[in-house]
Amino acid sequence: MINISSLTKYFGKTRALDNLNLNIKKGELLGIIGPNGAGKTTAIRIVCGILRPDSGDVTVDGYSILKDPIKVKSMIGYLPEEPNLYERFRARDLLRYFGELYGVPKESLDWRVSELLELVGMEKRARHRINTFSKGLRQRIAIARALIHDPPIIIFDEPTMGLDPATSLAIREFIDGLKGEKTILLCTHYMDEADALCDRVAILNNGKIRDMGTPEYLKAKIHGDIILQIKIKSPDIDINEIDALDSVENVNLKGLNLSISLSSKDEISDIAGLIGNNMLSINTKEPSLDDVFINSVK
Amino acid sequence: MRLLKITKWELKNTLWSKKFIMIFILQLGVLILMMTFFNSFITGIDSEKGVSLSPSLSGFASIAVSDNNTILVNRINKEVLNIEKMDYKNSFARLKDGKITTVIVIPENSQKKVKRFQTISVKLYLNPEDPKQAVVLKEVNSSLEALSASISEQWIDSLIPSGKSANTRVKEEKKGESLPLQLINKMMMVVLLFLPLFLFGNMVVDSIVGEKERKTGEILIAMPLSHSDIIIGKNMAIVLTIALQLAIWILILLVAGFNIENPLLVYIGVVSTSVPIIGITSAVAAYSKNYKEAGIGLSFIYIIIVGFLIVPALAYVSNGSKWSNISPMTMIIRLFSGENTPAIDFLIPIFSIVVVSLVSYLISIKLFKRDDIVFGPRPGIFRLMLDFLGIKKGSF
Repeated sequence: MINISSLTKYFGKTRALDNLNLNIKKGELLGIIGPNGAGKTTAIRIVCGILRPDSGDVTVDGYSILKDPIKVKSMIGYLPEEPNLYERFRARDLLRYFGELYGVPKESLDWRVSELLELVGMEKRARHRINTFSKGLRQRIAIARALIHDPPIIIFDEPTMGLDPATSLAIREFIDGLKGEKTILLCTHYMDEADALCDRVAILNNGKIRDMGTPEYLKAKIHGDIILQIKIKSPDIDINEIDALDSVENVNLKGLNLSISLSSKDEISDIAGLIGNNMLSINTKEPSLDDVFINSVK
Repeated sequence: MRLLKITKWELKNTLWSKKFIMIFILQLGVLILMMTFFNSFITGIDSEKGVSLSPSLSGFASIAVSDNNTILVNRINKEVLNIEKMDYKNSFARLKDGKITTVIVIPENSQKKVKRFQTISVKLYLNPEDPKQAVVLKEVNSSLEALSASISEQWIDSLIPSGKSANTRVKEEKKGESLPLQLINKMMMVVLLFLPLFLFGNMVVDSIVGEKERKTGEILIAMPLSHSDIIIGKNMAIVLTIALQLAIWILILLVAGFNIENPLLVYIGVVSTSVPIIGITSAVAAYSKNYKEAGIGLSFIYIIIVGFLIVPALAYVSNGSKWSNISPMTMIIRLFSGENTPAIDFLIPIFSIVVVSLVSYLISIKLFKRDDIVFGPRPGIFRLMLDFLGIKKGSF
């Protein structure tokens, strides 16, 4: 559905994207995760036709963003990082405005606007001006705006950034509801969000894809099935002694926090014995996308 | 045509905006105040006590008059018009050379005809290429009307038996404006007509720089619209707003008693002039990073535009230079004065309007298309010019 090939983009002398290649299948929800300045927003802005690449191309359903930008843009609904909306508009008028610009037929526009307002839970605020809305409400209207023309592809750039937990959850549930029905590209900082929603995740750093796959695949790729987290009283500890154990795959000491990747639980008691009285607390956890992310970008 | 949808919504938002309505009312207030003070000024100049006129207006034009009986010469304003004695051998040659503006021939037997209350025919020769001819013609006509009224009055008095006074008296109802006043009127009028074109710069800035500052431009560019749809659609809304305001403006001027010949052509001319001005403004706005920068840029650009409009118009009024036709303001002066103007003289300002419009809109669209201009880091003007000229590698 979306084919990103050899994208390179410079801002002045800074290379934001470096020969980026990515394929997104129809109906798939692909997450792009990466640190600040990794090139996530630049990549999706190019896909949306907002920026022009210095080299490379993006094709959507066979149409090139460089040759048929209008056709490609009409297939995409885009939610930018900040829900920057025209403050002077009322919610309903804003959706009508964008509906007209997207070429939604006049006879179905009113119905579509009402449907979307209801979908994002804003039907009671339809006549209110945008400048009276909180960030969460603006984000809801921005989502409705992105969906006004019922696009087959939706691109979300940090959709839950800066929102309260309840609104974030509502938006995640909303995105989850679109899975399978739409092709979705999701840029996020939140690993749990990517883990919960995405079919596949691409880790982007310095304008390049560092790793890509299903969340399970990526988590399995990092060392060990179990991570042992131990808090110690003093950093005077012999890491090599722990590392020498058979089930230990990786040992990482940061301050007074010791993180040990294990292939099995068999030697946990041996590790506890080696640390002895220096141990304050101990617990185990399964690897998360956070671990994958940190592992990929370090 | 999605650009028309942008125009429709921009126009709707503008006309319904409280800020715009307030600005609109304030502008009308300023117009009315200007007219009031202008009228007071004219009254001051026109009063018999007299307010001294600008010295530059004395000797504005020269005319040759053959009027042995001095029935007309005495009524012409000699402070402004130099009157030469008619010399059949040289006067027409001087008229052709543009050294004098008019030749007036009063028949030799006119004194007798006036006494017998017979019609006299005054011959007036004008050089159609001399821009002063329209105002001189008005001045001469005013003098002739005054003369005619005086003769009519004497004639009516002669019909009434002696000892009785006439109930009906013929009066000179309209003295006519003096020549300097006509000149002041022309410049004042044209300034009033062009003023609205410079009052909408902030709207252009808001619609283009505002998209950058509010970061709404990102969404707009992501829409299935071309960059030219966005720029032209937005600017068209502003030109339509100007057209609306100008229509009201001209109606007020007409109602207030200002003499505007060809009001429709004048209206079309001024609205057409707004197109390149808005184009240049949008080019400045497209390049500017924020409102402050756009404001500074516009101050410089508007000084240049005003100079381009006014200087040739003043040159036209003072000496009728051919180059003065390049300014649309000159065209408007000639239109509302009702001058008999050859079509070729209108082609020059129309050409300048079309060329400047095309160039300015092209530059605006090119600038708005550039990622570095909209999202940064923005290149300097010198670098842009090099890109534009293809001297340095770039994407212009």
